[in-house]
Amino acid sequence: MAKVTIDNQTFEFEGQQGLLQFCLDNGVDLPHFCYHPAMSAPANCRQCLVEVGTPQRDRATGEVNLDDDGNPVIQFMPKLQTSCSMQMSDGMVVKTHRSSELVKRAQKDTLEFLLINHPLDCPICDQAGHCPLQNQAYKHGPEGSRFEFEKVHKPKHIDLGPRVVLDGERCINCTRCVRFTREVSKSDQLTIIERGVKNYPMTPPGVDFDEPYSMNVIDICPVGALTSKEHRFQARIWEMSKTPSISTVGAKGSNCYYWVKDNQIMKVTPRTNMDVNEFWLADEERLEYTKFNDDRPEGPTVEGADVSWELAWKAAADCLEGVDGSRVLFLGSAWATVEDNYLLTKLAKHVGAPAPMYLPHRKAGHGDEWLRTDDRTPNAQGCELMGMQHGVIGELKAKLNSGEYDVVYIMEDDPVASAMCTVNELKNVKVVLHYYNSTNQTLAAADVALPAAMAVETVGTYVNMDGHAQRLRPAKAIAGVNRTLSMEIGKCRADRHGTPFDRWYNESNLVNCQPGWVSLPEIAAGLGLELSYKGPRQIMDEVSESNPSFKGATYSAMGELGVRLETTGITA
Amino acid sequence: MADFIKHPIVDLPDRKPDPVVPADQLHFSDEEKKEIQTWISRYPTADGAVMRALWLAQEKFSFLPPEVIQLVADEVGIPYSNAYGVATFYTQYFKEKKGKYVLDVCTCFSCQLCGGFDMLHYLEEKLDVHKGETTQDGVFTVQEAECLGACGSAPMLQITNGTYVHNLTREKIDALVDALREDKMPAFTSVTLPQDEDEMGGNRRTDVSSTETYQAGPVSETIR
Repeated sequence: MAKVTIDNQTFEFEGQQGLLQFCLDNGVDLPHFCYHPAMSAPANCRQCLVEVGTPQRDRATGEVNLDDDGNPVIQFMPKLQTSCSMQMSDGMVVKTHRSSELVKRAQKDTLEFLLINHPLDCPICDQAGHCPLQNQAYKHGPEGSRFEFEKVHKPKHIDLGPRVVLDGERCINCTRCVRFTREVSKSDQLTIIERGVKNYPMTPPGVDFDEPYSMNVIDICPVGALTSKEHRFQARIWEMSKTPSISTVGAKGSNCYYWVKDNQIMKVTPRTNMDVNEFWLADEERLEYTKFNDDRPEGPTVEGADVSWELAWKAAADCLEGVDGSRVLFLGSAWATVEDNYLLTKLAKHVGAPAPMYLPHRKAGHGDEWLRTDDRTPNAQGCELMGMQHGVIGELKAKLNSGEYDVVYIMEDDPVASAMCTVNELKNVKVVLHYYNSTNQTLAAADVALPAAMAVETVGTYVNMDGHAQRLRPAKAIAGVNRTLSMEIGKCRADRHGTPFDRWYNESNLVNCQPGWVSLPEIAAGLGLELSYKGPRQIMDEVSESNPSFKGATYSAMGELGVRLETTGITA
Repeated sequence: MADFIKHPIVDLPDRKPDPVVPADQLHFSDEEKKEIQTWISRYPTADGAVMRALWLAQEKFSFLPPEVIQLVADEVGIPYSNAYGVATFYTQYFKEKKGKYVLDVCTCFSCQLCGGFDMLHYLEEKLDVHKGETTQDGVFTVQEAECLGACGSAPMLQITNGTYVHNLTREKIDALVDALREDKMPAFTSVTLPQDEDEMGGNRRTDVSSTETYQAGPVSETIR
């Protein structure tokens, strides 16, 4: 196998590989700005310079020359090479800043050049704290600048498009954003204009940077030049906790991080998963986070009156007590997790009702074969695999109006908004509703209304359109749950920084809701059905054992990146 | 006032400019299209031809407003943003309307030492414009240029991306301006080197009639 020696350490490799990516994969940290694994390497930031040597060969025979000790003579290239654009070859010897003073000096000087015209406005820059330029200047850069003159000025706070703001002065012209629009999203909306010290990325006249993936350039920007119009100046990076989870906007199940401050979602950024969304996230997935913060319910109600959770669960059980099972409509939800839908299925079975259905939420023509999908829900595939049928709106409406149902049990959906029925049509039946937002239109008809935890507050599993089962992790706390006792809940800022006496600590914005895996067993208990699980982890263990579609989809197997279910007949 | 408030604000180029070239004139003739296709066929990818095509468009429309750049991009078959980036990179592509004659006075090192700025300022005063501006009658645009590669005959200027005028003096500028007002372009002038005097009868270039001999450059008045 081919060998490469990096800082006196020998690695084996196969095939054609870029040197920088190989170093990063093998734990050799090399500073870089313009290189991105998903895009071409233009080698224009000059930050990843290394010394590269190859074995010297005899010109006549082509044999490798050996020194007195029998080791190959290494001939170093006369100048430093950019590792991002360097392909590795057998016997190559590389010296990085860890073993070469020359490389160290080159990185320091490059940074001094990059910082000549870069405004040092880190205290007011949104990128501060997670800025590659800032980090690398601390790590590899000079202590100060020898440039004592006025910096070059460029246009600032320009709205490139409806969602992205550019600060031209902060730009170091790595061209990542331009290459993103050229090579990844293929919208060709950005270019570098002007030349020399005056250049910066821009749209050509008459063009708006409005493609549906525009906000990805904010993440790949290695400085604070491109910022989100939505998130600008809203929170510093160190004030937020980030939780790896799944986007809830489409059936692609893009992996993302939810950033939380004071129990409110502040922004959503992509999380790398090469099997699902690679490095990217659609703009709609980043912007649809206000639903987690706004219009959230304040505790359960029965017939419109605020009650305790115990009374509400009792009331819900009473609705189902003693009714003819075939006259109960159970509606699961493609927004609810696999676990919650599973529990609902068990409850329906216990009552003697047909298997729950779920309402499809599709918007034809919205999908683009990439990350945006026609399906506007994250877990339709999970419902299908669970054996739940997708309800046909017209049929359900007809059945409801012909009086076939006595009870409609709705989990985390909104049939009125889906035009399945009107509030008036639900007047004659008992309605139990688990709901996310107080804007839920079915709420007016609900006899028992149980606020449900949303995807950012619960633990569970979603299955995306390709059959990739992935875990949801709670990003924010809900009222009445001690975070440290619930082992699935990740540490949030409050846990890390604050005691209740700390000024960081904040108990505001705690929503009084319960996840389905808490509510459903309580209701089932009222009907004599024992659904005592220790938590969603145990529920999923049972699902993966009992349902062949979910074989192997346990929490430990899914981890952060999920598992691809080996199921046939998966439809998008 | 605090220093940071006084910082100059750099204006963004107009992002939604009104078209200047009427729609019925905004097209290439069949010959021009054919020519562009020949250039494209010379390169492995189409974008190699963009510079020649932009040049052709500039000669046709006299400058390159966005709609012309769009036209070129469509004709060459590359993204508009790409062509726009190229057009803004090069200073010799005119992105806004210039005078009939663009006078690029070199003020780079050699010319600067030999009086490049003297010549530029003289021209500015004579035509009553600042550098970068066009005279009221639309005949002249005066610009400051970086090195044009004629240091031997400094100070010098270039007329509309073309003819060079060497060994500038105030008298020469007066004569040049008068000649250009009558649309008399100065002929291409070959500047001979000292050694040519002996070896080649004073003219290295046999294909040009107009020659000028190398002379020790003047010294800038401002640095003397």
